[in-house]
Amino acid sequence: MNKFLLLLLFVFSDNYLPASGEYIERQGQVMFFSYTSVENIQAENNQVNSLFKPETSEIVVSVLMRAFVFKKSLMHEHFNESYIESDLYPKATFSGKIIDFDPSIKGVQTRLIKGDFTLKNTTKPVEIKAKIIAEDDTYKIEGALSVLVEDYDIKVPPLLSPNIAKKIDVSFNFKYSPYEK
Amino acid sequence: MYPLTLNIHHMKSKTLIFILFLSMSSFLNGQSLLDKLEEEHQSAPEYVMSTFKGTRISIGHSLETRKKNTLEVSFMSRYWNVPQETSNSFIADRMCTRFGVDYGVSDNFTVGFGGGFPNGIVDGYLKYRLMQQNINDNGNLFGITLLQAGTYRTRNIKNVELRDDFGDKLAFTTQLLIARKFSRKFSFQIAPTFIHRTSSRLNIDDHNHFAIGFSPRYKLGNHVSLVSEYYYVANPLKSIDTYGAFSLGVNWEVSDLLLQFKMTNNQIFTEDAFITQTAQNFNFRDGNFFFGFHATYHIQL
Repeated sequence: MNKFLLLLLFVFSDNYLPASGEYIERQGQVMFFSYTSVENIQAENNQVNSLFKPETSEIVVSVLMRAFVFKKSLMHEHFNESYIESDLYPKATFSGKIIDFDPSIKGVQTRLIKGDFTLKNTTKPVEIKAKIIAEDDTYKIEGALSVLVEDYDIKVPPLLSPNIAKKIDVSFNFKYSPYEK
Repeated sequence: MYPLTLNIHHMKSKTLIFILFLSMSSFLNGQSLLDKLEEEHQSAPEYVMSTFKGTRISIGHSLETRKKNTLEVSFMSRYWNVPQETSNSFIADRMCTRFGVDYGVSDNFTVGFGGGFPNGIVDGYLKYRLMQQNINDNGNLFGITLLQAGTYRTRNIKNVELRDDFGDKLAFTTQLLIARKFSRKFSFQIAPTFIHRTSSRLNIDDHNHFAIGFSPRYKLGNHVSLVSEYYYVANPLKSIDTYGAFSLGVNWEVSDLLLQFKMTNNQIFTEDAFITQTAQNFNFRDGNFFFGFHATYHIQL
């Protein structure tokens, strides 16, 4: 019976751990660029959510597509209505791990993040070269990746294909602080 | 013997289930990091976007305004044939055009000016968004925009108004553009309309007209939509026979360019003219059938 109680205690104790060891970013920055000879498209989102768990090297990101801000308001409309269809697919998500991340290192580490990126219900494995900066009680992670338009069921009419790059450059900048529920 | 073993078994399985249940709850708590993140609130604009694509649905105004610091340059045209005329015209016997600009002063306030050729109608409008539809029926179920337009007729067209003074040749249109995006494909607009003309050549014609517009939009694809419009006038002109303005058309978006093709029964682009002075019903005969083409180019300043 004692053993059983111990087990119970063990099982429950997990629920009462005050700190989760996780770090959160609620105003992360994600930018993307599409460069073509016809036009350059550029957008920025400053409301990206992300969670980072140093002990397991896990990192997850959730990007609300409507929150991207464009220089040209018409592009914002086309992006949401015709390409990303944000009414059907409101979010893009990433879930992955930092390879060979060492939580004991203070300062800068340059590592590869491997994981799955989901956009418009299509999930593809991606690799991101990122810089992780550990400070007192915060982490900064910044990096960049390229996303192929054809990988994610984004329909570009043939007439407009010269306007939109085949490869979209995405960069991000996250600053994490300890996560408390 | 047999029932006893069963009982023990039963007890064991109960404990097992209990433990399983407990560990489950802890497992749930340690749910995937992504699920945990999705529980976080994310704020974003909560308004429905693109109930219609252009500032005009087909012939009339939509509730859409232009965003701040955007300029649209538009070319509108109608082409038609004249009945009982042995015609050698190229493509069509007659045409009518309007050149216009629309400018977004703020996200909710748009102004526009235009001039018609050869009808000589000069027009201007102010458009203000009063209310926007919220997403997921979370708040406002529809959007409302107020339109105030005014026109000046430099020449006689239908002999309806007096032509003595400048003040005789004006007309004002006030519209409440009420629209709802029912689904990602279907939008519908109802437009209660008041039209005031500063003069009438004949006493039998009222200076004021009340009308209502109905405008559905159905998206055929991400860049193409089918649109229609119909305007009913409660107190039409008495000096001439008039019919409700009707239009059936296709809107096609090509990047910065919005192309609108339509079949309609009127040739003039301003509200007071096509709502109250459409002198022919819609059919495909020469004189009744008008083909329309609008091109609007969007410029971000």
